[in-house]
Amino acid sequence: MIARVAWLLARPGRAGAAALALPVTAFAIVTTLLLGVLGGAQSFWTWTDDIGITYQALAVIALVLLVVPLLSLGGAAARLSARRRDDRLATLRLLGATPAAVGTLAVLEAAVLALAGALVGVVGYFALVPALGLIVFRGEPLGAAGVLLGWEALVAVPVGVVLLAVVSAVVGLRRVVISPLGVRTKDEAPRMHWLRFAIGAAVVALGFLLMSALQVAGSMLVVFAFLAAAFGGSLAVLNLVGPWVLRLVASGQAKRAKTPARLIAARLVLESPKAAWRQVSGVAMTSFMAVFAGTGVAVLGAIGASPDAEMADLVVDLRTGIIITVVGSFLMVACSVGVNQAAGVLDRADLYRSLGMLGMPVETMDAARRRAVLSPLRITAIGSAVIAAVVMLPITGIALIVDPLSLLVIAAVLAAGIGVVWLGLVATRPVLERAAVA
Amino acid sequence: MGTFVLEATGLVKSFGQTHALAGVDLAVRTGEAVAIMGASGSGKTTLLHCLAGIIRPDAGQVTFRSGAGGVDVTGLGERERSRLRREAFGFVFQAGLLIPELTASENVALALMLNGMPRPRAEEYARGWLAALGLAGMEDRRIGQLSGGQAQRVAIARAQVTGASVVFADEPTGALDSATSAEVMSALLHSTVGQGRTLVLVTHDAQVAERCGRIVDVRDGRIVGERAGAGAAPAAGPAAGPAAGPSAGPSAGPEVAA
Repeated sequence: MIARVAWLLARPGRAGAAALALPVTAFAIVTTLLLGVLGGAQSFWTWTDDIGITYQALAVIALVLLVVPLLSLGGAAARLSARRRDDRLATLRLLGATPAAVGTLAVLEAAVLALAGALVGVVGYFALVPALGLIVFRGEPLGAAGVLLGWEALVAVPVGVVLLAVVSAVVGLRRVVISPLGVRTKDEAPRMHWLRFAIGAAVVALGFLLMSALQVAGSMLVVFAFLAAAFGGSLAVLNLVGPWVLRLVASGQAKRAKTPARLIAARLVLESPKAAWRQVSGVAMTSFMAVFAGTGVAVLGAIGASPDAEMADLVVDLRTGIIITVVGSFLMVACSVGVNQAAGVLDRADLYRSLGMLGMPVETMDAARRRAVLSPLRITAIGSAVIAAVVMLPITGIALIVDPLSLLVIAAVLAAGIGVVWLGLVATRPVLERAAVA
Repeated sequence: MGTFVLEATGLVKSFGQTHALAGVDLAVRTGEAVAIMGASGSGKTTLLHCLAGIIRPDAGQVTFRSGAGGVDVTGLGERERSRLRREAFGFVFQAGLLIPELTASENVALALMLNGMPRPRAEEYARGWLAALGLAGMEDRRIGQLSGGQAQRVAIARAQVTGASVVFADEPTGALDSATSAEVMSALLHSTVGQGRTLVLVTHDAQVAERCGRIVDVRDGRIVGERAGAGAAPAAGPAAGPAAGPSAGPSAGPEVAA
């Protein structure tokens, strides 16, 4: 029974091939980036000298930085594949399919799409190997052989991606199973608590103290542990406070909005501040990193004239690492904005078509959709840069943060991040145009 | 009954191999309620879309007459037709198709704001129409918090708030039970023909069609029959419905809704 229904549901609907291609593409990119990062980092573990440990510690930080947005992109793709069928699954529930049957269907479909994407991703990784091999660390290229992963990783990563998709599908669909009517009528009004903000403030203060204590810490390991704690803690705070702040700002905007586009945009954010946050949280991460990286480059500039060759190598390599991390995280932001936006348009194709019939210009629909992403993005990018600056203050000192070089790097990273998201929005406009006119 | 507000001659429209319209002539008088009836696939929705300037017929002509004279709808470009729909026509769809994130009054006010009316005034008109349609006190609810019948009345308010001279309704009661369906039809008729405006409605439901003044039967893209409906002159419409579009000026004055 399940197999037959699954087949019926799998036939392309009006959304067509795009709805299938999107999650597959996203899973493919997740897999390629994950394998690429692992491949690049694995060569660090072949170094056994003292400074090798420093490289390994830095690689772990970079991996954590990349893996978090990778997971959220994977989650977004899984949610997309689940949401694409949300409506039909809820209908099935109303028709009397058991929760187990509905759940199995969703999980099955997410797993199949994720597997297809992961396999494409593995091919993509092999295509990327020659380019990865050209990256220079410690004065010489890593080499294609150096970044080639063993079969264990080549199997483990796709399996992990599929598992991720399955878990996201289960979590995302729990709502459908619990309350079919809830999803069909979309009647939940989300609320957020100020407590989030209080907890957030407390964690930032703790991070500040940790970083202050750093100056007296002796060993390198302790330094890294503190760095990681402050970093992870601040990121967690961003995730906790972000949606709450977006909701606060959007509710003010909804009250003041004078044009249809502004009103719709603010209401879109208010409808689900968490979803709005998810769309831009990758940039929060990047702009957070930009402050870290910005101050980092500034510190390197200060000690750049080091006579020690090993130290000079490390300085150059740090820069390389920062650039790779930033580029990787931008790629993922661009992908998740594209995935989320295209999914959003496909989800609401009927509504867009009806608005077109009413005479609402496509420009107005597009402006509302763009604003609903870019306005939270602005708040997010600036907010997380400020939080990072507060946490970093003790180690670099205000002098470095206001140093023109570091400011320039921060500004450039923020501008690039916003530009990438904007590109993601522009790239999905044809999807909107097709939906509105068809 | 006065002049023809809409006049279609020789409408032909094909989608690939399917001939949705195969030569349709139809004239609609000002203040009339016309039901276009037919089974699914008969071409009735395509006819409505041609009349409303949503799609262009392959051949034939649609003329819309207002106080400002006649307009050849089929000769207008995409942008002009979009503007015509926004300013002169109103639409009610089967599923309401309101913006779920907006409140009831915002959904209605949006139609006016698209024509350039400032938001406070637009919301005031919207509240007036919602109250006239029996939705007083629900203005700030989101669409998901309304019943199907209530949502459909919000859609009627949206279609009428701009002072549209013609309202097009595509299966407006298609998703409702029969009691609610009767209520929604009453609201729709009162707020259109009851105010001297025109209603063009597409349905496959004979009971719904019966309530209109004239019923046009469509089959295989042609009009195959025409008869008078039971729909007599409707009773007085929304008592003090703010019957003004953006062009009417602030005659009602900015009285604050209680």
